[in-house]
Amino acid sequence: MDLNRRQLFKAGLGLSAILAIAACGDGSSSDGSGGSPQRGGTLRIGAIGKSSKTERDPHATMSNESDFLIMSLIYDPLTVPGTDPNVAPRLASKWESDAEQRNWTFTIAEGATFHDGRPVTADDVVWSLRRLREVAGETKVPVSSVDDIKPVGANAVVLTCAGPNSQLPLLLRLMTFAAPKGTTDFTKGIGSGPFRLESYNNGNARLVRNDNWHGGAPLLDAVEVTLFESPESMANAIMAGQIDVASSVGAVAGRTAEARSDLQVIRRPNDVAIVIAMRTSDGPFADPRVREALRLAVDRPAMVAQVLSGYGSVANDILGTADPTFDSSIAQRKRNVDRAKQLLADAKFDTGRTYPLVTKQEAAGEVESAKVFASQAKDIGLNIEVVVQEANAFYDDTWLKAPFYTVNWGTNDSVMFFASKVMSSRTKWNETGFKDAEFDKAYADALAAPAGAKFTEASKAIQQIQYDRGGYIVWGMADGIDVASRSVQGLPKLGGYGRVQLERVWLSS
Amino acid sequence: MIALTGLVVRRLGLLIALLAVVFVVVDLLPGNAARAVLGRDAGADRIAAKEHELGLDRPLPVRFWNWFSGAATGDFGTTARGQSVNELLAAKFPQTLLLASVAMLATVVISLLCGLWWSARPTGFTARVMQPSSAFVIAVPEFVVATLLVLVFSLWLDWLPAVTFTDRSGYPASPEMLILPVAALAIPQAGWNSRVVRGALIDAAAAPHVESAVLNGLPERTVLLRHVLPFALPTIATSFATSVGTLFGGALVVETIFNYPGMGAMVAGSVSDRDTALVAAVVAMTGTTIMCVLLLADAIRAWANRGRR
Repeated sequence: MDLNRRQLFKAGLGLSAILAIAACGDGSSSDGSGGSPQRGGTLRIGAIGKSSKTERDPHATMSNESDFLIMSLIYDPLTVPGTDPNVAPRLASKWESDAEQRNWTFTIAEGATFHDGRPVTADDVVWSLRRLREVAGETKVPVSSVDDIKPVGANAVVLTCAGPNSQLPLLLRLMTFAAPKGTTDFTKGIGSGPFRLESYNNGNARLVRNDNWHGGAPLLDAVEVTLFESPESMANAIMAGQIDVASSVGAVAGRTAEARSDLQVIRRPNDVAIVIAMRTSDGPFADPRVREALRLAVDRPAMVAQVLSGYGSVANDILGTADPTFDSSIAQRKRNVDRAKQLLADAKFDTGRTYPLVTKQEAAGEVESAKVFASQAKDIGLNIEVVVQEANAFYDDTWLKAPFYTVNWGTNDSVMFFASKVMSSRTKWNETGFKDAEFDKAYADALAAPAGAKFTEASKAIQQIQYDRGGYIVWGMADGIDVASRSVQGLPKLGGYGRVQLERVWLSS
Repeated sequence: MIALTGLVVRRLGLLIALLAVVFVVVDLLPGNAARAVLGRDAGADRIAAKEHELGLDRPLPVRFWNWFSGAATGDFGTTARGQSVNELLAAKFPQTLLLASVAMLATVVISLLCGLWWSARPTGFTARVMQPSSAFVIAVPEFVVATLLVLVFSLWLDWLPAVTFTDRSGYPASPEMLILPVAALAIPQAGWNSRVVRGALIDAAAAPHVESAVLNGLPERTVLLRHVLPFALPTIATSFATSVGTLFGGALVVETIFNYPGMGAMVAGSVSDRDTALVAAVVAMTGTTIMCVLLLADAIRAWANRGRR
């Protein structure tokens, strides 16, 4: 269950290496120190998954990273993550909206064909999006009903949102995989993506190059995906040379690999936000002065060093740190014990009580983050008891209810993603009970604004309110850590699920 | 024969009781399979529909009976994700059985050899090594043994693969991939069983008929094989049979460390998913296997004790 949720949200994030390099040349993939790209070779890549939860349906809720990797190689989503802008084209070569930001038209890339030779048509895409809307709900296709997804001619589809939604292309990144209309047997894996499925066995797959891919044939001959039940066994496999890439293997393996000359550590910044949620609507943290005191209590560099083993960066109580509109002019909040104590005194906060901070073993370092924070908060006179809950129990008993708990999120490249999912007063996942008229106004403005100055202004207003009176302590951002053999070039470098875009990877000899 | 039938009935009753306990325990865990499968974004209506589909809205005894009556005919039902449990078991159980069998074979051979040698030369060099080393390997859990083996034989010496890859049949791609998982399982078991074999042999050797055989001037080997070993066999067989259960338990841990394609990880995943049908099916399969081995041990004991009453 934990993975379902994390995977779902992280899936909004990532990058297409080819498009990022071609469009921006921003170095968002590992540098080509191996010389000029070479064709050929088989990439053996490991990814985490549970063999009891393998999934073959590209529209189902996937809980295995390994399944998601396989799907992303076989199927093309409409859009994929990028750096700036944070949405890049994939199956949709371009998109445009009406002035109201309500009706969005996506044009299918020229030359897009399924692996069986049929061209990808508007009917296929409409069928796939409608199926996804039915199977997975509004979270993945944010329109009110399947009737809001319609073909326009032979090679375009139009999506009609219930209200202005400037974020639709972003919300359709990854996940919106297109399959031929009427597909019932997904085990053949007929998609239009850069690799074709050759064989599949219990979560492991071998894929071969699709020479006809509309984005240009990949360089690798084949990709072999191996499912690993634990990061530890995956780390052993990369150390022993049995795989070429260990995807999202974690800080411990990263540390070990740093010492090895035959391995490279790929750090993907802004991979996961592990944050502390304080309830703003009622309870002990309802007073904004108390929340500011807690934010001033945290020693952010120490948290990054101790919780993330240094694989991360300090953050500033604003979610969406990798957003192109992220406001770096807001002063970095630093530890200030005296001011924090003063604020608690001003707010007449009861320091005689002990406050439970509920956490769970979910993201790497999540429980540790609660413990380290609890020890730091002692310095301002706040007594915290860290309560570790089983993840299932956490989502039933604590999430959205308790006044004080830890959460973790992907998709850190979008301020609007967090505004819509957890902070707008209408969202069903308002983790901090945040209801703020000014915030809602800025959010509505941003939804109605096309990309540009007006949108940036609204985004900055959203960020300023979070910084001033939001309910989250965003102390840092964890890096995603992949370990790869030195011969692997062109691996994606963006956080979250951007790591699945392997079409421009190549092997140097 | 009647005694044997009674034994089978008792063992079967125990297995059924165990399966009922599995149902109750998984039911007591917080969270449910419907939400685990649908994820966070599912509304109450979709969760209720899924619960109905999975039969979770029915009383626990009814669910147990539905599952059990299917299982009795060889149909273990479907997982919460709609996969056939039989197919999953067919894909994973033989691999675990292979791993556990090879490990068991290794345990039997090593323990018999070590135990025999040790009891025959109780003060020799081997005995002095065996005494502390067997105690050590018993005390160290499988996952520590496994981790050390990977460290030494894969990462330092680069002799053996660190993890298991499967070929298209779903079995380990090469036999050498079995070596470390088998060793990780067999080493702690061999430590324990060597001590049991030695103890049983020494006890048996103290019996009066052995003494008379020695006094009759029979060769040492004949005494050992004809007079001591049969007498010690019931104890040894029981100990080996008990090891089977421990081996299965250890296999679940060892499989995760070596990414071995067996049932271990499936059990962990199905418990966190509250997937009762799958958990119970795995318990039924391993339980039945262990039951058969225990029956075999009973048979050996009965045979060794024949005519002794």
